[in-house]
Amino acid sequence: MDLVLQLLVNGLVNGSHYALLGLSFGLIFGTTRITHFAYGPLYALSAYACWWASAKLGLPLAAAAAFGIGAGAVAGVLCYVLLYRPFERAGSPPLVILIASLGLLILLENAIGIVFGTDTKVVAAPPAGIFVLGPAVFTSVQLAQVGALAAIALALWLFLSRTRFGRAVLAQTDNPEMATIVGIDTQRMSLLVFALGSAIAAVPACLVLVKDGATAHMGFVAVFMGFVAVVVGGIGSLRGAVAGGYALGLVESLGLWKIPSEWQSTIAFVVLFLVLLFRPQGLFSGRQ
Amino acid sequence: MDYVFHILVMVALFAILATSFNLLIGFAGLFALSHAAFYGIGAYTTAIIALKFGLPFPVPLLVGLAVTAAAGMLIALPALRISGDYLVIVSLALQVIVIAIMLNWTALTGGTDGIRNIPRVQLFGASLDTAPKFLPLAVAAAALCYWVSWRVGASPFGRALKAMRENEVAAQAVGKNVVAMKLAVFGVAAALASVAGSLYAQYVTFISADTFTLELTIYVLAMVILGGTGNLAGSLVGAAILVVLPELLKFVDLPPDIADKARQMFYGALLIVMLRLRPQGLLPESASAHHLHAPPERPRVDTPVAAAALEGRGLEKRFGGIVAVQRLDLAIEPGRITGLIGPNGAGKTTAFNLLTGFLEPDAGDVLYRGRSLRGRKPHRIVRLGIARSFQDLKLFTRLTVLENVLIALPRQRGDHLAAVYLAPWAVAREERANLARAMAVLEFVGLAARAAEPATGLSYAEEKLLSVARLLATDAEVLLFDEPLSGLAPSTLREIQPIFRRLAASGRTIAVIEHNLDVIRELCDVAIFLDEGRKLAEDTPERLMQDPVLAERYFK
Amino acid sequence: MMRKLLLGFFAAAFAIHAAAQSANDPKVYKIGAILAMSGQASWYGTVMSQGIKQAVEEINAKGGVNGIPLEAIIEDHKSGNAQEGVSAMNRLLSIHGAKIVLTSFTAPTMAIAPLADQNQVLLLNGGGVSNNLVGASKYIFHIRSLAADLGRAAAQHAQSMGAKRMAVLHWKNDAGDNIVQAVKPVWEKAGGTIVAVEAVPQGSTNIDTQVAKVRAANPDIVALWMFAPEVGIAVKRLREFGMKQPIIGVEYTANDAKIAGTLGEGYLFVNDFFQASAEFPWSQQFAQGYEKRYNAKPEFYAANYYEGVYVVAELLKRARAQGGDYVNGEAMKKALYANPKFDSVYGGQMQFQPNGVAFKRVGLFKVEDAQNKFQKYIEVR
Repeated sequence: MDLVLQLLVNGLVNGSHYALLGLSFGLIFGTTRITHFAYGPLYALSAYACWWASAKLGLPLAAAAAFGIGAGAVAGVLCYVLLYRPFERAGSPPLVILIASLGLLILLENAIGIVFGTDTKVVAAPPAGIFVLGPAVFTSVQLAQVGALAAIALALWLFLSRTRFGRAVLAQTDNPEMATIVGIDTQRMSLLVFALGSAIAAVPACLVLVKDGATAHMGFVAVFMGFVAVVVGGIGSLRGAVAGGYALGLVESLGLWKIPSEWQSTIAFVVLFLVLLFRPQGLFSGRQ
Repeated sequence: MDYVFHILVMVALFAILATSFNLLIGFAGLFALSHAAFYGIGAYTTAIIALKFGLPFPVPLLVGLAVTAAAGMLIALPALRISGDYLVIVSLALQVIVIAIMLNWTALTGGTDGIRNIPRVQLFGASLDTAPKFLPLAVAAAALCYWVSWRVGASPFGRALKAMRENEVAAQAVGKNVVAMKLAVFGVAAALASVAGSLYAQYVTFISADTFTLELTIYVLAMVILGGTGNLAGSLVGAAILVVLPELLKFVDLPPDIADKARQMFYGALLIVMLRLRPQGLLPESASAHHLHAPPERPRVDTPVAAAALEGRGLEKRFGGIVAVQRLDLAIEPGRITGLIGPNGAGKTTAFNLLTGFLEPDAGDVLYRGRSLRGRKPHRIVRLGIARSFQDLKLFTRLTVLENVLIALPRQRGDHLAAVYLAPWAVAREERANLARAMAVLEFVGLAARAAEPATGLSYAEEKLLSVARLLATDAEVLLFDEPLSGLAPSTLREIQPIFRRLAASGRTIAVIEHNLDVIRELCDVAIFLDEGRKLAEDTPERLMQDPVLAERYFK
Repeated sequence: MMRKLLLGFFAAAFAIHAAAQSANDPKVYKIGAILAMSGQASWYGTVMSQGIKQAVEEINAKGGVNGIPLEAIIEDHKSGNAQEGVSAMNRLLSIHGAKIVLTSFTAPTMAIAPLADQNQVLLLNGGGVSNNLVGASKYIFHIRSLAADLGRAAAQHAQSMGAKRMAVLHWKNDAGDNIVQAVKPVWEKAGGTIVAVEAVPQGSTNIDTQVAKVRAANPDIVALWMFAPEVGIAVKRLREFGMKQPIIGVEYTANDAKIAGTLGEGYLFVNDFFQASAEFPWSQQFAQGYEKRYNAKPEFYAANYYEGVYVVAELLKRARAQGGDYVNGEAMKKALYANPKFDSVYGGQMQFQPNGVAFKRVGLFKVEDAQNKFQKYIEVR
């Protein structure tokens, strides 16, 4: 029973991490319908920027993280302006944009390896605080992962529901054709979601840097899990993306209670498979 | 020069993977990212059969082919229910599961050690143990696989796949069994990929799970999209470029510690540039030139038939708490035009959906010629002679006008893969007759001049005409039109209306949903007034419109 | 650009192929290396290629071998991709005419073994640790201890510490699985139980679930049958989960040490003995040279491939002395077994056993004050 509690805590922590990935990827994907594979290396880039600011500029960790988030946002915007927008203007089909994004992923992953080297990057941080909750244990970094999701989700919800631009984004994620008809400036909105989504993605990236260190290829798993969280939750629903992230984290963790751990990824995907078999529109999307 | 031969072997293997993948994503529009799993299942099955049973080539390949085709159809099962982004995830799930089985079912697959010492192919007394010796086999296999894919693509079956890609519901509405089509195309694509896997296993003689990962699928996907989806020759070009390009980049001299990463950066950049220059792929999907081969004779379109009444009895349909249709009894009689009128949300389209099997009624029954249609799938109902059009038309927009009609023609032998391969001459002969029929239908509605153009280029009125033509092509006796005339200019209306008249005069059973009361009055012999899911009245249009209660309901 | 590349491609291919068949003494000794130069595990490629480069430069600075310079040709297997390995091997054979190839990672090595047999290429492995690699080719030799042997040695030490309940975190690959299988009988025969065996996919950073299960099993020792950089992450996470039990493993690279930080203190590992002190001048010289060259701590894998080049150089000398055509797998294999002893950068000499694996001294190390402190030599039984 103790193990279950610990696995539950782990599931919630990892779920928060996946939810952040789902939220940021879903914001971009839901609004622009660009399968943004380059999300992966941008995620890694944010972590590296944070590392660089901390190790090379000597900034305190919080400032370095802010630097990483800013760098992520700038990189996201550049990515849209320099890569995706020209493709969109040329009327390229979504699949072509997907492969272009993949090209950028290959380019950036290797560029990071060349520029920063291939060893794992770690930041000098005081050892993580350890909290004991009955039989379960968690660290301050894990607590930060949960807290980050809560804070970001709340802020994002306020932004999306209270501002004109936010409502436009929601309208667009809900129904891309509708927004064009209503006359929302989709390009400005794309810029905004790329900035916002990439900035949000930088948060889990910096936390993983502190927790496990950063490598050039850390983003591949991130974009993969973000995408999966979005689809499980139901495309076009940010609430769904968060729920999908938690579903993924909990299944991956609790699923291993009685099953050997070599089946970890398999469990998650078998569950996914079943979910989609019975709820093809995703877990949390109301739309048929 | 074994190196060059080796690269050519790899080009051949990837050509097989790319063309077969193109069948799935380019033709059928099924975005399933499990191709590496098929490749891997073929390789593993071959290795196990060849090692454990010592059977000679091509037995391991054929067993691999059968096993993989079955696996492909297994993936198709969820794909029957879902599509688009969700299919991506389902197929990813299968990819992950296949890899996990390769890694963990150690007794069969060697687990993380993989399988080594896989026997070489022995052919004509020679062991194909070097790249130059293996190349002829690889090229022959690639050519054969290409031919198989090409036959699929060029057949009526391939055309139906594209129709399914454009609009699955509309494909069903013209009588296509999309379930069978998905199963077939998954089976074929998986089987072809397994050929590549089988050859790979016997060429390298060592396999392990990490060759068959998602990265490989993505690599093949890039080949298909770079080459051009829906164009098989494009996939060949894509495979050749993406296999050879990294090798060419090896000849760019760079400091060794960054060389391979820099080359991959360059590779990524080149991929982007190529896509930028050719956004539709290097060889985009081309419109067919079918119309050129149509024989001159034109069969008659409005041949007299003795249709029967289509009856709905006690139909009920609820969506959640909302009752869309309740206790609906209606009979649409042959030889005349029946109008369905009523305010928005009255249940008119739902009634059509219930009559044609697109919705299953919660209660009640649909009868045609004394037979119950309950529980029958839409494509079967079309084959029984009852077809419908859609308010939003659901044309196969990227296909030509002619192809839109050709697809709808009934009982095509070429829709079945067995006939495509086993009776190619009969299929070709039938295809010529079908071209003539399709042209006749287009002439009947007045669209013959636009036959070779893609449906995207049509005007609104022409789109409506094409949807009528497509419905006619199904050869159904009962034709249900959902707002075929809405939004048309009066002059156009006058041109189109006679088409319906002639069809009714030929003995067919015609129903039309229409909002414009003038049109109803001019066109219909009888009108049925629906509101809140019930039939309120049935009479001639004139008398219905004089009823003040109905008029109030209609204009409320 | 493309045309020039194509021309170069064919011209280089044919010209060099022809040249390689001329005399017994080539103009230059070409040493191919197929490493993880890109992809997820490219850290391995970086350090291995740095070790090779250092050795080649040192040897060439002294006039080469037999008066002939060495040339290293680094190829990429994209972090363990068998198919890439085969392409790289074909390039090395056809374009460079290389007859000596340093290899790494199991899958690409297994995949190129048949080509090595056909073309009489000497393969020298200093990275892959799977049992399967032994005898994969007629001409394959290994200059690092097998993972299974190191694991057994670590288990023996754990027993001598009085541990009875072992929990295992292992890489889900052939190397990890090999150790799991090798240790189980040893451990259970001595009366111990294995209370948890948790697999970690290579390259996964999130191992919290596995760590939780290890913790719940309440072991008195945790064994890490895995390699960089997961070792560092695992040590860190185990400690962060509040586990105080001893942790023992088979490797601890500088990269791992960086990740674990102060939480790595007290970690035990059994590995090929290495001590860069005055007592072992070559070790010291290598370590100082590496640090000067690359401004980084010398890595275990760099040392192996550095040593690999020196073994090849020595073999070339001995094989040449036999006379005849000597730059090929058959002649070099003969020379190797004529005298299987070679100087080792790990101190003293190593001896190749009949199965092709070099016997090296294995030591137990403990992390103390951020240093890998040598504890004692361990006999691998």
